[in-house]
Amino acid sequence: MTHYAAPIKAKFWTPGVVVLAVLMAAGAAAIAARFIGGIGYVSNLTTARPWGLWIGVDVASGVALAAGGFTTAFLAHIIGRHYYEAVVRPALLTAVLGYTFVVLGLLVDIGRSWAIWKPMLYWNPTSVLFEVAMCVMLYLNVLYIEFLPIVVERFKGRVKLPGLLAVLNGPLDGLLKLADTVLPKIMWFFIIAGVVLSCMHQSSLGSLMLIAPTKLHPLWYTPMLPLLFLTSAIAVGYPMVVFEATLATTSLKLDGEMNILTPLTRVTLFLLGLYLALKVGDMVVRGTYVYLLDFTAQTNAFIIEVLFGVIVPWLMLLSPKLRRSRRALFIACTMIVGGVLVNRINVFVVGYRPPISEANYFPAIGEVLVTVGLIAALMFVYRFIVTYLPVLNKPEQEVSA
Amino acid sequence: MTRTGPGVLLIVTAALTGVLCCSPALAANPLPDEASPPAAMVWTAPDQEAAKKRAAEVVPFVLAVMDECRLCRQQRLRDMGLSVQDQSESYSLLDSPIIRETEDHYGPVRFMHAKHAGVTKDCALCHHYRPLDEAASETVRCSACHQEPFQKDHPERLGLKAAYHQQCMGCHREMDKGPIDCRGCHRKNVPDHKDHLQLVEGAGPFQVTAECLRCHKPAGEDMLKSAHWLWKGPSPYTLDHRKDVELGKATIATNNF
Amino acid sequence: MGLNRRNFFKLVTAAGAAVAGSDGAAHAWQSRAPSDSVGCLVDLTRCIGCRKCEEACNRVNRLPPPDRAFEDLTLLDKKRRPDERTYTVVNRHVSGEIDARDQLVPTFVKLQCMHCQDPACASACIVGALTKKENGTVHYDVSKCIGCRYCMVACPFEIPAYEYHDPITPRVMKCTFCYERVHSENKLPGCAEICPVEAITFGRRSDLIDAARQRIKKNPGRYIDHVYGEKEVGGTSWIYLSGVSFERVGFNALPETPIPRLAESIQHALFSYLWSPIVLFGMLGGVMWASKDKRDRSGNGKKGGGQ
Repeated sequence: MTHYAAPIKAKFWTPGVVVLAVLMAAGAAAIAARFIGGIGYVSNLTTARPWGLWIGVDVASGVALAAGGFTTAFLAHIIGRHYYEAVVRPALLTAVLGYTFVVLGLLVDIGRSWAIWKPMLYWNPTSVLFEVAMCVMLYLNVLYIEFLPIVVERFKGRVKLPGLLAVLNGPLDGLLKLADTVLPKIMWFFIIAGVVLSCMHQSSLGSLMLIAPTKLHPLWYTPMLPLLFLTSAIAVGYPMVVFEATLATTSLKLDGEMNILTPLTRVTLFLLGLYLALKVGDMVVRGTYVYLLDFTAQTNAFIIEVLFGVIVPWLMLLSPKLRRSRRALFIACTMIVGGVLVNRINVFVVGYRPPISEANYFPAIGEVLVTVGLIAALMFVYRFIVTYLPVLNKPEQEVSA
Repeated sequence: MTRTGPGVLLIVTAALTGVLCCSPALAANPLPDEASPPAAMVWTAPDQEAAKKRAAEVVPFVLAVMDECRLCRQQRLRDMGLSVQDQSESYSLLDSPIIRETEDHYGPVRFMHAKHAGVTKDCALCHHYRPLDEAASETVRCSACHQEPFQKDHPERLGLKAAYHQQCMGCHREMDKGPIDCRGCHRKNVPDHKDHLQLVEGAGPFQVTAECLRCHKPAGEDMLKSAHWLWKGPSPYTLDHRKDVELGKATIATNNF
Repeated sequence: MGLNRRNFFKLVTAAGAAVAGSDGAAHAWQSRAPSDSVGCLVDLTRCIGCRKCEEACNRVNRLPPPDRAFEDLTLLDKKRRPDERTYTVVNRHVSGEIDARDQLVPTFVKLQCMHCQDPACASACIVGALTKKENGTVHYDVSKCIGCRYCMVACPFEIPAYEYHDPITPRVMKCTFCYERVHSENKLPGCAEICPVEAITFGRRSDLIDAARQRIKKNPGRYIDHVYGEKEVGGTSWIYLSGVSFERVGFNALPETPIPRLAESIQHALFSYLWSPIVLFGMLGGVMWASKDKRDRSGNGKKGGGQ
């Protein structure tokens, strides 16, 4: 069972990519407006609702859905299931881009973007956010280091800069060669560190909202929130890989890799089941099921989140037949991804209800444009990188596999 | 965190004069007459001058008061034969340096002591406690007990400003008589406009008016609706009582140019 | 599959044990409230709704001029909240009570930062820009702030406001408890100084609680037997007395547990001395080393995760 990744030989400017570029331009305009008129100019954020779409989707969901990176690294590199190597690189790329765009989203959301370095200088150890920020910062660096071999592989011995820059060809190539010899020897450290850092901040992202007991709806406010965030992040890792691999292989007309994806989701069956058990158990122990039939926006969002984001896809995955069907597997995994997305939005936006001012919040068009623009940019860069770097599996694999 | 420091000093320095001037209200003290105009031909109201002088005094702080209920106090005063007839001052200016120390937003209240006493016919209504010291007078001025606010050793003693306001407004509200808004009793001090004005040297009348209007736009708009501008207009005070009262040159003068 | 599953179990149980352990550790959580802080006692039965405190606050803190003059008392009926241009506001509530002349009895409520004893905002602040000072003030240092607004998420009183319309240097805006005036200049907070009826009593917090209890005891008909802020969220520097139930004049019922307690306990249990990341790192390293051995033995012949 060997495989090797290669750049995609496909036209870059497809209609889909053009659409992405248009969305990016709209997002860029909204970001420009934010940095000219202020956050208040493009968003509906208020005193009572200081966090909205940007934190709920760009940051919290971005981090959760980038979990494919550390879960596949764990599978293929730590417990040595090299069978799954084929999905490691795309998942890693998703994580690299996911976290990069989390930081970009943060730069838009925080009021003093230029001060984003300050947590490195001023530490507040009691702050959950401080821990999350440190972990995300370190993990982003770890991800870049983990991604480095892909760049090295592509350009080693092939550095050909144009014109005057050609003098740099020699030194750069030397650098790449050095990296090629050093990186494999130290990579184990970064792979483990990546998993550790991920576990830390994935869970702490849940601890964030423990500071708001009077504001977060009891259906979500539980001391178990960090554990639920961690299990859901781990559980969503492989479905995210399936989701993203299916999308990529379909749009680029590559091998569907079902022989890898199907066994991958067997683990998910267990992980998602664990998450479901914890979530339901927590609800039963704390007696919060009494809220379920309130028919408020919060409880409805909770029911949607658990029913369509966890229970239904879990039942779907129970059937081996459905797991082997490319379409059914994609639907189930999309639902799981959507379920985690909805969960993060619920915890940070829908379930957050300030009791004194009872302020409502709905994202402004500017906020939506920024978020959509950032996601489009992420997909655009993904498409760009897989075109020029060896990330996705070579199509020939279809024959040999 | 003590806030008594400067106050205590003031009291100590003022103690001597205070003892002299804090005449027991009932031991009628004749008005000091030296407030009459000096050499210049400026006339001043003697009672106003006297009131000003009294207001500037800071009397020694009464540390403890006798604990008695209002009814007991009313009865005791009656038994002693004391009533509103025995008051010494008919007019006071409520303008204590204790308040002036932190406040300069409103002018002092001119308080008709005799009139209020005549209406309420009850000394104990305002003079609600007497000093514990038996040598002291039965009634003392408000500022004998109420001085700086938030004194550490007297947590429940109101400061002078709050004592005035709670007493006056409380009673006005209870009796449904008398003003309970700021300007009912105080003239508002006109704030210093020095820093706000943006006038060039030797500005003419039009520039000055324009400068006023820069901030006081509604005042200018109001002026355009007044009799001063229109030369006529309804009287704001008698409108509902007598229909035909009109003000302004256009209505009362026949040959009005 | 076995190894895989076992290790996920380990991961999950490690995290789970730590979270469960935090329940025990919660008892070890220590309040960091200053012992001898100052505060203010707001007596709602005294407040006359003159808005002088708003005016004084605006003046001493050099806040931008208001849209409507402070003399305009019609604003009292609009339920306002402190915002980025106003550190304190007074609202009029009518509880339905009627006085002897059939007039509705209003209750005026001054709102501002409560300066919690164990402030959630200061615990949450990513850079420690918000701190609890020795004198009780919850102080904001703009030079550290990055504008994440987590303090606003954390505040149980929904007080910190944000200059959303400043694109580059927005600030969190909230009552300063006139820190410079009180701490350095030995003056009173602007609002407490100007209040014409001493509806705001300034003093040591412990004295204020005694004074509040005294007032209730001396005048049980005037007050309800509750000092708001004595115990709420572990205590606040600003405390309130009222003649009508606090829920009816816009105060929400809050737990007596300090807000940061749970999050801090969990964080402390999980990450003190970074024990859990180190243990996890060691565990994963061991697994990695062991499985590497295995791969070397068995080559690529295993059917990972087989169907």
